Amino acid sequence: MSPSFARARRKEMLLAYALLLPSLVFLAIFTYWPILRSVWFSLHDVLLGDPDIYWLGAENYLRLLDDRLFWKVLGNTAFYTLTTIPLSIAVALLLAVALDSKLRGMAIYRSAFFYPVMIPSVAAGMVWVFLYAPGYGPINEALTTLGLPRLDWLYDSQWALPAIVIMSIWKYSGYFMLILLAALKLVPSDLYEAARLDGVSGWHRLLHITIPLVSPTLYFVIIIGTLHSYQIFDYVYVMTQGGPADSTNVLTFYIYQNGFQYQDIGYASALANALLVFVLGLIGLVALTLGRKVHYLGER
Amino acid sequence: MTDVIQTAAMPDTATARRPRWRKQLRENGLHLIMLPLALLWLSPLIWILITSLKTNAEVFDQAAGFWPDKLNFSNYPSTLSVAPFGTYLINSVIVTTTILAGQLITITLAAYAFARLTFPGKNLLFTLFLLQVMFPIYAIFLTNFVTLREMGLINTIPAMIVPFVASGYGTFMLRQSFRQVPSELSDAARLDGCGHMSILWHVYLPLVKPTLIAFGIISVVTHWNDYMWPLLVTNSESIRTLPIGLGLLAKADSGADWPRLMAGTTIVVSPLLLLFVIFQRRFIDSFMHTGVK
Amino acid sequence: MKSTKSNITRRRLLASGLAAPFVSMMPGVLTPARANETVKLQFMYPVGVSGDINTIISGMIADFNATHDGIEVEAIYAGSYDNTEQKVITALGVGEPPALWLPINSSLQTFLGLDALEDVTEQAKSDDIYDDFIGGFLDTAVSDGRLYGLSYQPSTPVLYYNKDAYAQAGIDKAPETWDELLETAKALTIRDGDELKRWGLIIGGGWHDWMFEGYCRQNGLVPWEKDKVLWDRPEAIEALSFWKTMVDAGCMAPASTWQGSANDFMAGSTAMLYHSTGSLTNLRKSSPFEVGVAFMPKKKQFGASQGGGPIMIAKNQSDAKKEAAWTFARWMTNTENQAAWSRATGYLAVRKSSWQQPEMVDYLKEVPQAEVAMKQAEFSGAFLQVPAYSRARDSLKSAIDRTLAGEIAPEAALTDATAEVNREIARVLRRQKS
Repeated sequence: MSPSFARARRKEMLLAYALLLPSLVFLAIFTYWPILRSVWFSLHDVLLGDPDIYWLGAENYLRLLDDRLFWKVLGNTAFYTLTTIPLSIAVALLLAVALDSKLRGMAIYRSAFFYPVMIPSVAAGMVWVFLYAPGYGPINEALTTLGLPRLDWLYDSQWALPAIVIMSIWKYSGYFMLILLAALKLVPSDLYEAARLDGVSGWHRLLHITIPLVSPTLYFVIIIGTLHSYQIFDYVYVMTQGGPADSTNVLTFYIYQNGFQYQDIGYASALANALLVFVLGLIGLVALTLGRKVHYLGER
Repeated sequence: MTDVIQTAAMPDTATARRPRWRKQLRENGLHLIMLPLALLWLSPLIWILITSLKTNAEVFDQAAGFWPDKLNFSNYPSTLSVAPFGTYLINSVIVTTTILAGQLITITLAAYAFARLTFPGKNLLFTLFLLQVMFPIYAIFLTNFVTLREMGLINTIPAMIVPFVASGYGTFMLRQSFRQVPSELSDAARLDGCGHMSILWHVYLPLVKPTLIAFGIISVVTHWNDYMWPLLVTNSESIRTLPIGLGLLAKADSGADWPRLMAGTTIVVSPLLLLFVIFQRRFIDSFMHTGVK
Repeated sequence: MKSTKSNITRRRLLASGLAAPFVSMMPGVLTPARANETVKLQFMYPVGVSGDINTIISGMIADFNATHDGIEVEAIYAGSYDNTEQKVITALGVGEPPALWLPINSSLQTFLGLDALEDVTEQAKSDDIYDDFIGGFLDTAVSDGRLYGLSYQPSTPVLYYNKDAYAQAGIDKAPETWDELLETAKALTIRDGDELKRWGLIIGGGWHDWMFEGYCRQNGLVPWEKDKVLWDRPEAIEALSFWKTMVDAGCMAPASTWQGSANDFMAGSTAMLYHSTGSLTNLRKSSPFEVGVAFMPKKKQFGASQGGGPIMIAKNQSDAKKEAAWTFARWMTNTENQAAWSRATGYLAVRKSSWQQPEMVDYLKEVPQAEVAMKQAEFSGAFLQVPAYSRARDSLKSAIDRTLAGEIAPEAALTDATAEVNREIARVLRRQKS
C-alpha cells in the first residue's frame, strides 16, 4: 500500500465521520440516551411521576414471559405486519408502475392514491369507524349489494384486526407508491425501450426489468414498512383502544398502555428492549437474505 | 445527459402505424381499471367533504340521504372559533419546515457517507442510525421530556423540533438512491478534479431530486399530523399546532361533533393537499425518465 | 422484597451536566424568579364533550382572571382524560406539577400514591362545601375521610332510548328492571331473516367496564375496596351472566366502541344505548328522532358509578399558590358556574343551589331528560378508586369482551381478572410502602 493511498483513505475516513457528525449529535441526545436509560429502567421498578426508582434485576423480563397478554399482542402485531406489508407494497408497486407515465389524468390518480397519507390519523380513524359501522356503514351496504354476508367489523374480535389491516392498506399504499415512483424515475428509460423493441410483454417487463431495477427501493420499502407497521399505534388508539377482547392490541399500544396509562415505566422499557432485540434479529435476517439480492445500478 | 432520453420518448415511426388503436385501447383499459379504484380510494374523502357541509342531525339520519339538504358552510367558521387555528397554522408551518430543513441537511451528509465512502464501523453505524426507526417511540417519550426540560425547552417551539432533526429513515432512503447513481458519473467528475462535496452537490443531489421530494412530502405529512408529542411538551395556545385543535373536536367522551370534525379535517389537510398537487407535477415534469447511459 | 434505592444524585448530576451548556445559552433561564404580586396558576383540563366546551372554559377563565386581582390562571387543554392524567403525572415526575387539574375520579388513589394532592378538608369545612354539594358527588374526592378535590363535572351512565322506536313497537315506558330490559330489548330488535336491522341495546364500548360497575351496584355490590377489586363475587358474576344472556338472545351487541355506539344510536342502528350523561346534549341535538332518558334498570336496587372528576390541587407548591388555587377551584364550582356548565354540557351540577337557579328550573322544564341523571345520582358512588385503576379497567374490559364473544365463561373470566388485578394492586402498594 503506497503512503499516498493510505493518506487518501485516512482522509476519506475523516470526511465520513464529519458527515455523520450532525446526525449523530442529535441521535445521541434524543435516541441513544433514551435507549440507554430504558435499559436501565427495565432493571428497576419505575413509576411514572415518582422520581424514586428501585432495583429489580431481571424481574420485569421474567414478568414478560408470564404475561398472557404480551404473547397475544405479539401475535397480533405479527399478523398485522405480515398481512399489511406484502399487500400494501404489492398494491403500491402496481399503482406506481401504472402511474409512471405521461397519460392524461395521471396527476389526479396520483393525488387520489396519496391523499390518505395526509389525513390526520385522528380524523381518518373516526371516518373508518363510521365506514365500518355494522348497521348503516357503507362497507356493509356494499357487501349486501354484492350478495356477501354483512360483518360486525370493529365490534367482532375476529374481524377487528383485519378491519384495521384493510384501512392501513388504504392509508399506506399511497405512501409506498410515492417512494417507488421516485425510484422509477431513476430507471433509465432506454432499458424499457430496448425491452419493448425486443417484444417483451408488459408482465415480463415488470418481473424481469422493473422489479430488479427498483430492488434497492423495494428493499428499503420492505424494511421501513416492517419497522413502521410494527409501530402501528394511531388507529388502535383512536378506533378500538385495543379491544374487543384485546384482539387489536399491538406492541406499541401495549407499551404505551404500560408506560403511560399504568405508569409502569420499568415494564414498558423491558417490553421495548425485548422488542428491539427481536427486531434487530429480524432486520439482520432480512439484510442477509433479501439484502444480498438487491441490485444497485451504481455498483458493479 | 437529459437529451439522450428525449429521443427515446418518441415512438419508432416504422412500427407506430400498426398499434395506434392498440395503444388507445391500452390507455383506455388502464383508465377502466384505475378510475373505479381511484373512486374507491377517494370515497372517504368525499364523505369527509360532504359531512363537513351537513348539520349534526343530518349526519346519521337514514332518511336524509347522501347529500345535505342545504350546503351548510357555517361549520367552517364555527370550527375555527373553537381554537385559535390561525396561530396553530403558523406554528405548524414553522415546526414542519424547520424539521424538514434540518433533516435535509443531516440526511444528505450522512447518506452520502454511507453510500459512497469507506470507513471502519460503517455497518455498525448504519445499524445505529436505524435504531431510531426501530425503537418504540413511547419508550423514549419520558426521557426526552426530561432532557428537554433540563434544556429549558418545555413549552417552546423547539421542543417539537429538535428530537426529529436527525432521521435514520431519511438517511436510509437517500442512501438507497445514492447507490443507484451510476458510479461512472462520479468517477468522471473526480477526474475533472471535483472534491466529494462538489460531486455530492453537482452530481448526486440533482439526480435524486425525486427521492428528496418524496422524503420531504412524507416528513412534512408526519410532523404536520403529530398529536401526542406536541400535546405532552406544550401548554400555551400560542405555540401549539393544528392537530391539537383537531383533537378538541374528536377526543370527546360524548361522541364526536362530526360536521365540525370533518370541517376541521378539511382545514388541516388542505394546505398539504395543495402542496402535494403542486409538487407532484414537478415530480413528473422535471424527472420524466432522466435516463443516464 | 429486596430493593435498594438507586443512586439518584448521580443520575441528576449526569442529566444536568448534559443540559448545562444548553441552559446557560438560554437567556433568562438562570435569572431567579422575582417576587411577584400576581400568582400564576396552571390548570390542566380534558375536553370530555366536544367542540364549544373549550370556548366555554376559556370564557370562564377569562371571567375569573378579570374579577380576581392578583391571580392569573392559564387554562391548558390536555386532551382526553387519559392524556390529561399522563401530562399531569409526567409534570409531577419532574417536580413541576400544574397548580390544579381535572382528572377522572378513578385516579384519586393514583395521585394519592404519588403524594401529589393537597388535603382541602379544612377549607371545605369552613366553607359551605359540605352543606351545599350533593353528597354523592363530593364523596368521589374523599379517601379515609379526607377531601382531596372539588367535584366539578360528574356524570353517570344513563339509558338513552329512541322514542320513535318505542312508539313503533308499542312500548310506552322505559324498562325498570333487568328482566324488563331483556324483554324490551327483544321487542325492539329487528331482524330480516338472518340479517340484523336494529339492535335492541348497545352498551357503549370502551367504557363498558364503567357500566358494568353500575350493574354490580344494581345487584347490591360495590365491586372494589380501597386496595382490591371484588369482581369474583356472585353479584358480579350474575351481572355478567345477564349480559351474556342478552347477547345470546340476539338483542344486544357483543361489543362496540365509544364513538361508534353513539353513532349507532343516532343512526337508528340500536333502539337503546347506555352512554354517559355527558353525551345528552350531543345525542339530543344530533338525533333525527326524540331521545328519551331513563334510569339504568335495577336488579335489587338502582345503582350507577360516577364518571367525570373533581378539580384537584397540587400539594407540591407554595402556600400562596395553594390559596389562589383554592379560590379558583371554589369559583369554578360556585352556584352560577355549575348551573351554566351543566346546561351547556349535560354534566350534572354539583351544588344543590345550582339546581334551584331560575335558569336551571326553566332548563329542566324544557329538557326534562336532564333531570333523570340528577335523580339517579342519588344511587351512585365513586368509580373504581383503586391503585392501578387503568390496568384494572383494561383487564375487566378484556374479561367482559371475551365472555360476550363466547370465548370463556363469566365466572372463569371474572375470577381470572380479579386475581390478575389484585396481584397488580399488591405490587403497586408494595412499592408505595417500601
